[in-house]
Amino acid sequence: MPRTPIDLLQGTLDLLILKTLSWGPAHGYAIARWIEQLTGNALQIGEGSLYPSLHRLEERGWVTSDWQLSENNRRAKVYTLTAAGRQQFRAEQKAWGNFVEAVRKVLDAPALPA
Amino acid sequence: MVPMEQPLAGWRRYLRFLRPDIKADINDELAFHLEMRARDFERMGLTGLAALEAAQSGFGDLAAIRDACLTIDERRFRRASRKETLMSFLTDLRQSARSLLRSPGFTTVAVLCLTLGIASTATIFTAVRGILLRPLPYRDAERLLVIYDAVPERNERGVNISYHDYDAWRTGNRTLEDVGMWGWSTITISSDDESERVEAGLVSANLFHVLGVSPILGRNFLPEEEKPDARVILLGCGLWQRRFGSDREIVGKTIRVNAVPHTVVGVMPQGFAFPELGQAWRPMTIDLATEPGNRFNAGAIARMKPGVPLSTAAADLESVMRREEERYPNDYKGWSADVRSMRDNVAGELRRPLLVFLGAVGMVLLIVCANVANLLLARGLARDRELGVRAALGASRGRIFGHVILESAILALAGGLLGALLTPWGVRLYAMTYPNDVPFYFSLRVDGWILAFVATLIAAATVLMGIIPSMRATAIDVTAALREGGRSGAGGIRGNRTRNVLVVSELALSVVLLVGAVLLVRSYRSLTNTNLGFSQDSVLAVRVSLPPAEYTVRAKRIVYWDAVYQRLSALPGVTVVGSAEGIPFSGWQVSAGMSIEGRPFVDSKDELGVHYQNVSPRYFDAIGARIVAGRGITEQDRDSVNLVGVINETLARKQFTGINPIGQRMKWGDAGSKWPWITIVGVVSDFRHWRLPEPVHSAIYIPQQAWPSASQTLVLRTTLADPRPLEPSVRSVLRELDRDAPAYQVQTFRDVVSRSLWRQRLQGRVLGLFAGMALLLAALGIYGVISHGVTQRTRELGVRMALGASRREVATMILAQGSRLAAIGVAIGVAAAFLLRKVVAQLLYGVAPNDPLTFTLVPIALVLVALIASLIPALRATRVDPALAMRAE
Repeated sequence: MPRTPIDLLQGTLDLLILKTLSWGPAHGYAIARWIEQLTGNALQIGEGSLYPSLHRLEERGWVTSDWQLSENNRRAKVYTLTAAGRQQFRAEQKAWGNFVEAVRKVLDAPALPA
Repeated sequence: MVPMEQPLAGWRRYLRFLRPDIKADINDELAFHLEMRARDFERMGLTGLAALEAAQSGFGDLAAIRDACLTIDERRFRRASRKETLMSFLTDLRQSARSLLRSPGFTTVAVLCLTLGIASTATIFTAVRGILLRPLPYRDAERLLVIYDAVPERNERGVNISYHDYDAWRTGNRTLEDVGMWGWSTITISSDDESERVEAGLVSANLFHVLGVSPILGRNFLPEEEKPDARVILLGCGLWQRRFGSDREIVGKTIRVNAVPHTVVGVMPQGFAFPELGQAWRPMTIDLATEPGNRFNAGAIARMKPGVPLSTAAADLESVMRREEERYPNDYKGWSADVRSMRDNVAGELRRPLLVFLGAVGMVLLIVCANVANLLLARGLARDRELGVRAALGASRGRIFGHVILESAILALAGGLLGALLTPWGVRLYAMTYPNDVPFYFSLRVDGWILAFVATLIAAATVLMGIIPSMRATAIDVTAALREGGRSGAGGIRGNRTRNVLVVSELALSVVLLVGAVLLVRSYRSLTNTNLGFSQDSVLAVRVSLPPAEYTVRAKRIVYWDAVYQRLSALPGVTVVGSAEGIPFSGWQVSAGMSIEGRPFVDSKDELGVHYQNVSPRYFDAIGARIVAGRGITEQDRDSVNLVGVINETLARKQFTGINPIGQRMKWGDAGSKWPWITIVGVVSDFRHWRLPEPVHSAIYIPQQAWPSASQTLVLRTTLADPRPLEPSVRSVLRELDRDAPAYQVQTFRDVVSRSLWRQRLQGRVLGLFAGMALLLAALGIYGVISHGVTQRTRELGVRMALGASRREVATMILAQGSRLAAIGVAIGVAAAFLLRKVVAQLLYGVAPNDPLTFTLVPIALVLVALIASLIPALRATRVDPALAMRAE
């Protein structure tokens, strides 16, 4: 039975990427794997769409990249969260919490408010 | 599916050091992802190919993702590189500015020279634009023509026209929209307490319409007002404001003009004046019944139909003249129409001087640029080591080129901005040289054009000054520079050669300017040293005009003038009072064809052009001319039938060679004309009546009281060195005699003469100023080069002196270097000046354009200046201490 795909909101993917990078530098494939494992594949991210997001984050100065040798001796582009990126992550995390809270309140409401 | 591009080939990695290979990086990154995914799938049991396909299908649209990444990365790098360029430009700018500030002496001198050069150039350009380029303030001014009569055979142009000429041109042309006519005039405007003489004009009713200028109040004249009893007047704005308190109800009011009431019909716009300074206008009386040859109206102004070239209009008017010749051969044979554009008419004589000024100031600016380039080069030589180090550290040629040219750009910009600020002052200075105010139709304003011109000068100066030093800087041989620089920069022979070329050019340009300036100054001197034949000192001229309506009776005029001479002679300080219709240099140049009794008068082109006028008995005394034969004019010469006259030496010499002119008779026109015979009773010494450089023309003087005129210029010889303080008492005497005949044009003879030479004086001064600047700059340039040479050769000089060279030998060696440069520069300059001599030839008087004195003195002077400029470094060279010099290295 196919799982119900959840369309990612604009910016949500950025938030997930920032979160994964907050644990430490990683290359694109590692980020994709972590998100996959943590969400139990609930979020059907087209794996490829991760990359434009990463490049955009780099353009904004929230992550930097450099080429490193991977575990299998292959050149891999490794992304690192910058100070500005960490700040941005905190802000977005908070905004996301507020958003979820607000939506939950509506969904949990027993009746139309008087 | 698009086949994956191969991961980076090994060698391409190294290209990254130059510039990141964005595309390859993206491919690499995405390929890594797919490989990793495929490997994971393989671990889960898929075979190689299947694993890769599965990885790709899970990835999404590879091409689209790659493009998206590419777009983002390209944008990022573009921005980064733009920012980097800007940052590096700012760094360079800071560096250049700092390095200029480190040598404040050099920077100050360079900026000062540039400021003066650019301000002078912009000032002259403002004059060129205001006088030669900016449209004149009339509607479609380029279609306006000014027409006079001309007698080509006698080389006479700008001759007065007759009503008949005007009528023939107006009705007979095919190329003109309309033709208007005008005449000179002054009028007396009087009220109960004050009367004044005002410059005015007589105009045909259509003249202002032809010019395209309309009154701001009231109306233009009507055609039916072109008659003597019209008694209407148009006022100039300035006169209206000053005299009538800007009364907006003035139209329709009556004012007293020449003692007769006139109705004001309108007020002309602010600033408008015609002719020259005219501030009031009355309609011209058009009397077509007068003889066709009666040419006493000043001129005509015509407006060409759109698209008609001047030559066509001129040919058209010429054919009108030829048609008139068929009808009136006596009055038109030999006569032509003198047709010029309005611009040529007002600016014609200023065109060449202005262009000469522009060329001269351009040369000054070139010299400035050469000088600054030279200083920059000298700095560059001293900094070879610094630049060598920079080059060795990897600064690109472009970067070093940019650094040096930025220095010159900063200097040019500073000089240009300061120069632009100074320009209005320069323009004011220039305008002050005008004898009266600058005419209203020339607007000497610093506007957008001038600023754009200054911007161009800044750009040109940047390139001119910066190109050689920066090319030299980029051509530095790094190793040589470092090695040579190790022993305080010697700079190399090539750098010195460039500097020598620059100095030689400066000297050559200075010679050209100096030759031009000396020629013009000598020309002005020769004008002012001309024996005028009359004395300028202690003579006051005062013009007075009787209101014609009150003095129609001849006897009344005689009484008035007798009273004037008597009363003015009685004034303390006044020794002689005389008068003439027009004094020398006043522009009163009435001439007519005359014949001598007993000689055939063949046709008009044989007639003697003789200047004539009515003068009072003491006129010759008053101006300081002498009677050389016969007698002068006396109090008793009042007979208007048996007229007597005094001729000048020129007429006597030309017409009466070997004959005694006394007792001979002359008359206007041919022997049969209605005019009376004039018996010659005396010969007066020649004096310059026409403005210099015109020669003395034949003249005959008639007793004023025989035909008492309405307007005379009184000439008062006084005991005062400066007769101006007499003005108030002269004015009050004249006011007492007739309040409607006020004194005007009160001036000393010295002023009259000096004002008439303003253009020649201006030419001498402007070129003298520029030549002076050029000389100073060239001296500075040669000093800089020689002085720098001495510094460079300190060690060599030390060695020479250690080996026994005397101080004198060292000094001579340095001086020889300076004089060699001077000799080459002067030789080139003299040759160039000789080739350019035709440019100023037309502006010269009494000096040949290849004047040997000038062409001898200027080179000598320049070589001397060059030697003096080299003397200071030469003396410094003699003080070199051999021991110190050799150790210092």
